[in-house]
Amino acid sequence: MDEEYPMSDPIQAENEEEGPEETQPERKTGKSRGSIYDALDDEEDDEGEDDDDDEEDEEDGRHGRKRAKHRHKRAAVNRFLDVEAEVDTEEEEEEEEEEVGGDEFIADAGIEGDEDDANRRAAVNARLDRRERELNDQDLAKIAQNLHERYGRAAVRYTGDMNEVPQRLLMPSVHDASLWQVRVKPGRERDIVFSLMRKAIDLEYTAQPLSVLSAFQRDSLAGMIYVEARSAQQVNQACKGLVGVYPSRGITLVPIEEMASLLQIKKQDLTVTPGTWVRIKRGKYQGDLSQVMDITENGEDVGLKFIPRIDLNPRDDASVDGRKRKKATSGVSTMRPPQRFFNYEEVVKVYGRKQVSKRNQVYVFQNDTYKDGFIEKDFKLSALQLDDVNPTLDEITRFTRGQDGAEHENAVDLSIIAEASRKAAITVLQPGDHVEVFEGEQAGVHGVVDSINQDVVTITAVGVDIDGQKVDVPARSVRKRFKAGDHVKVMTGQNADETGLVVCVSDNVVTFLSDMSMQEVSVFSKDLREAAEVGSGTNIVGNYELHDLVQLDLQTVGVIFKTERDTFRVLDQNGQVRHVQPHQISMRRDSNRAIATDSEGHELRVNDNVREVDGECRKGRVLHYYQSFFAFLHNRDISEHGGVFVTRARSLASLAPKGNLIKPGTDLGKMNPHAAGGAPMGGMVGSAMGRGPRDRDIGALVAIVKGPQKGYLGVIKDTNGNLARVELHTGNKVITIDKEKLYRKLPDGSLIPLSQPYNPKWGQGGFRTPGAPARTPNPFAQANGGRTPGWTSGRTPNPYASGDGKTPAWNASSRTPNPFAAEGTKTPAWNAASRTPNPYQESGKTPAWNASSRTPNPYQDGGKTPAWGASRTPNSYASDNDRSGWGGGWGGGPSETTWGNSSPERPAETSDWTAQTPAAIPTPYSAPTPYTSAATPRTMGSGGAGERSAPTPGVSAGDEDDSTPAWLLDPLFQGKKLLMEITGTLGSWHGGELDGAKGFVSNAFRTLSDALITIEHIDPGRVGTSVEVPIMYLTPIPPDQVGDHAVLLEGLGSASRATEVILRQLVTSRVWEVSKPSDPKTFTCLEDKMVKLYIS
Amino acid sequence: MAAIPSQAKSKQLRACLLCSIIQHPMDFRKNGCPNCEEIMQMKGSPDRITVCTTTYYDGIIAVIDPESSWVARWQRTSKYVRGMYAVRVKGRVPEDVEAELESRGIKYRPRDQTDQD
Repeated sequence: MDEEYPMSDPIQAENEEEGPEETQPERKTGKSRGSIYDALDDEEDDEGEDDDDDEEDEEDGRHGRKRAKHRHKRAAVNRFLDVEAEVDTEEEEEEEEEEVGGDEFIADAGIEGDEDDANRRAAVNARLDRRERELNDQDLAKIAQNLHERYGRAAVRYTGDMNEVPQRLLMPSVHDASLWQVRVKPGRERDIVFSLMRKAIDLEYTAQPLSVLSAFQRDSLAGMIYVEARSAQQVNQACKGLVGVYPSRGITLVPIEEMASLLQIKKQDLTVTPGTWVRIKRGKYQGDLSQVMDITENGEDVGLKFIPRIDLNPRDDASVDGRKRKKATSGVSTMRPPQRFFNYEEVVKVYGRKQVSKRNQVYVFQNDTYKDGFIEKDFKLSALQLDDVNPTLDEITRFTRGQDGAEHENAVDLSIIAEASRKAAITVLQPGDHVEVFEGEQAGVHGVVDSINQDVVTITAVGVDIDGQKVDVPARSVRKRFKAGDHVKVMTGQNADETGLVVCVSDNVVTFLSDMSMQEVSVFSKDLREAAEVGSGTNIVGNYELHDLVQLDLQTVGVIFKTERDTFRVLDQNGQVRHVQPHQISMRRDSNRAIATDSEGHELRVNDNVREVDGECRKGRVLHYYQSFFAFLHNRDISEHGGVFVTRARSLASLAPKGNLIKPGTDLGKMNPHAAGGAPMGGMVGSAMGRGPRDRDIGALVAIVKGPQKGYLGVIKDTNGNLARVELHTGNKVITIDKEKLYRKLPDGSLIPLSQPYNPKWGQGGFRTPGAPARTPNPFAQANGGRTPGWTSGRTPNPYASGDGKTPAWNASSRTPNPFAAEGTKTPAWNAASRTPNPYQESGKTPAWNASSRTPNPYQDGGKTPAWGASRTPNSYASDNDRSGWGGGWGGGPSETTWGNSSPERPAETSDWTAQTPAAIPTPYSAPTPYTSAATPRTMGSGGAGERSAPTPGVSAGDEDDSTPAWLLDPLFQGKKLLMEITGTLGSWHGGELDGAKGFVSNAFRTLSDALITIEHIDPGRVGTSVEVPIMYLTPIPPDQVGDHAVLLEGLGSASRATEVILRQLVTSRVWEVSKPSDPKTFTCLEDKMVKLYIS
Repeated sequence: MAAIPSQAKSKQLRACLLCSIIQHPMDFRKNGCPNCEEIMQMKGSPDRITVCTTTYYDGIIAVIDPESSWVARWQRTSKYVRGMYAVRVKGRVPEDVEAELESRGIKYRPRDQTDQD
């Protein structure tokens, strides 16, 4: 009676299918839906749950009835066809559907005549009844068997018949197909295996079915899959057309003996057991150490216990009601609260009693469970980091200490970490290390490592009765041995490179007193080594220093709280600790001038001592402010993060009484410096004091010398660290640019690096006031409005006028009475000189002008007199025809100006001076005064004369080879590229920044009072730029090498002055054999009497 | 023939703890485990599916011809339907299944490769 089955089967099938849902039909009939088709309901249920299901199914739902009817028709037809011969997925599905249709057919019968609800219910009931009856009728086993016969697969009895075979008997044999390794695109392995499967199914009944048997992929073998097939050809065929497969890179046969191991690869055993340490990968607790408490049966979820991070300073409005908090918590996420044990009182204080509920021994707060101060939370295994956990001793002791700071009895077993690190211990042993055996037969023996052979360590025992014997022990059973008083160094870990004295050893934990921080540090003995050296106590790595405020990225700044060997630990404004390397720091920020307002609206500054007014009420000294909002504080008493912590400035209050509170009755008028009429204030009030001047560079005219804007001019509008905001002259644009790329453009057009000091006031007159200002107060400053009269021609007695016809001073010195001497009661200096060995005379070259310009020179010995002194006096002088300057220098004559036009410096004179005249004192050396004081007397210059004479810069006085090469103005020397060096400018001209710069003369011209020489720089870095230098700061550079071109400073034999010569040979020191370029005839010449020529 | 999941990457794919077949949970719900439904009883029962299958597996095998494939034999899946199987599945079947297996005299072999003999 096979015919019976089609009628009963659908119901059986349905039973099978709906077995677990048997109560559903009743429920569903109650629904207002017009359908009673369970099958459809089922399908729609599925659809509702199945996200992947697509439109087609939806359509099914909508047109359910229609389709069902259609199916019904087909089903009715099908029943007379033998469609069960072929078993195919599609067929099966269809069949299933048909059963459904059959079911509908029955139901339809009930419904067809009557649409009434009652009838429908009756139909359902009838159906249920029948189903129940039938269930009773047939025993389940029979049903199963029937199904088995019909469908083969529906419910195979699980026999596990293959389970008995030992695995080794399953090893591949030569008769098995081979495995082929195929290269694929990394990351696509899974897809490709799936594609192969689908392809195999698709092609199954085609002319060319795939003949591969299987394909697999292992997660640990990236970029390859393995295909089981009889030949590479079949593999190739299978892979053809699949995207991401690279058969061209070779289809490699896997050796038979390796086949099994491919399937046996185990990922590093990531089993977690209660007690294991793990780290949380993501979220608020990212990186936090936690301990596994339990694991769900399937190993996916892990119950963890760790130290919570509860924000005890939620946004003000956050604690009021839940809705607002939700918002707030999402916003607050920028700031990670510190790790703290859960404290009921604290939390209640902040969040209110309602937020925390207590169940048994645990608290529930914001859907998290807290027990003993720890948070207990379930995590997915995939959200945890299981390997490389490396819990530090600090973290673990924190854990152990628990909430109340007391040791819990369930103290964490340090052996867990010790065990983990033991493997590593083998690698850290070195011959010579003192070790002790702590387990095994030799436990307790200690000795010195003699040799290491893989896992076996040979030690020479020390002490006890086996003293001196060599013992082999497994490496894992020994540990390094230290005793109190040893000086050790940490080799690895976060304390690496610290050194210190061991104060305590307990098992494998050694506590030592750090040389650097003077704090006790506990480390595992395996990380230690005995060392004599003392760790470098430096807090500086690269350009950054401990407690610097550094910019990490656009949004993030942080404070360095620990420097390690080449990295920093930085606490950023969100309270996160980051490990950064110097190169990851974009810049250091200066918050010295940052201000913020505290909780009461008072001004806060860096270095103020403050305390928090809420939350944990920590005290500290302010290290930095960031955006006037975040405050980085430091408190030595806090151990976390080196005592640095971050908080909001708004929640701070100053510890010190504030001076800037305006008390009632204070006369504000008195506080106003302007109102006070410029009277000196006793200092500004309160913390307003000490506000530094704004950056001097602001407002400077600069040129950009590097980068895409090179060549642009602009004005600095603002500076920030090493960045400047420059308003370009062109384009009306403000750009931010590195100060390095900026050069200050001086009014004379020359460029100097921004970093060089520059006083704009000098700058304007810069080249004209070589002056002493830096060292000696300019005596004329007041009288003459800051200008040195000496070089102001209008005020300077015309040297020619007064000096003309006068006997040059030095002449006077030897023969004629000094005209000036008469003027004062003073003996001219050089009179004195004449009595003492006159340095100039000695050297035979007393350059009048030289002496005059550098008054103190006489005191120096002759060797310092420039070689091209008087005897070679440049023509300009000759024509000037007076050397009285010299005399003036000493004698105080006002007419000393002589060389005046070439040198701005005027000798000083004055009666004061005369009192100290060297004349009175035989030895020039003991004579008056250091340069500085030499200059001083002039300050009070007795008369017009004094005023007119310029101060003698002390510096230049001391500068031995300083002299004014006035001959530069000689037309003979014009156009020659004479090499000159800028000297004697230290502390005067341009602050000496160009001192030592070399260059050649490109132009020389004389102003009324002065002579300016244009020097083309030849120094690297300045090449291409030029500067106008007062002549007095120039010193000729003598030639010093064979082949150098030079110019004679004075005539010599046949060679006239300014003749160009070439150095041929060194005769003696500083004496050269030279010749004209065109004339082989050589003659000797002193090096000093030549000046080198610039040959480009 | 088992249902072949359409999305290879899907994180939801689950492997049966007993036979290691990989399916979408939806398929487990609809049709149960094609190999061991009889003992696992997963069809239509999401709770049962969560305890009897896992997402924690490693390596995927496309078993195309179970009867003649050595890989399938090695994995002891050659009597099972064609489909996607996991190489290694972490976890053990629930205790009731283990007890049932024992009562039938079937040796239970966890699929986590812990006991290889």
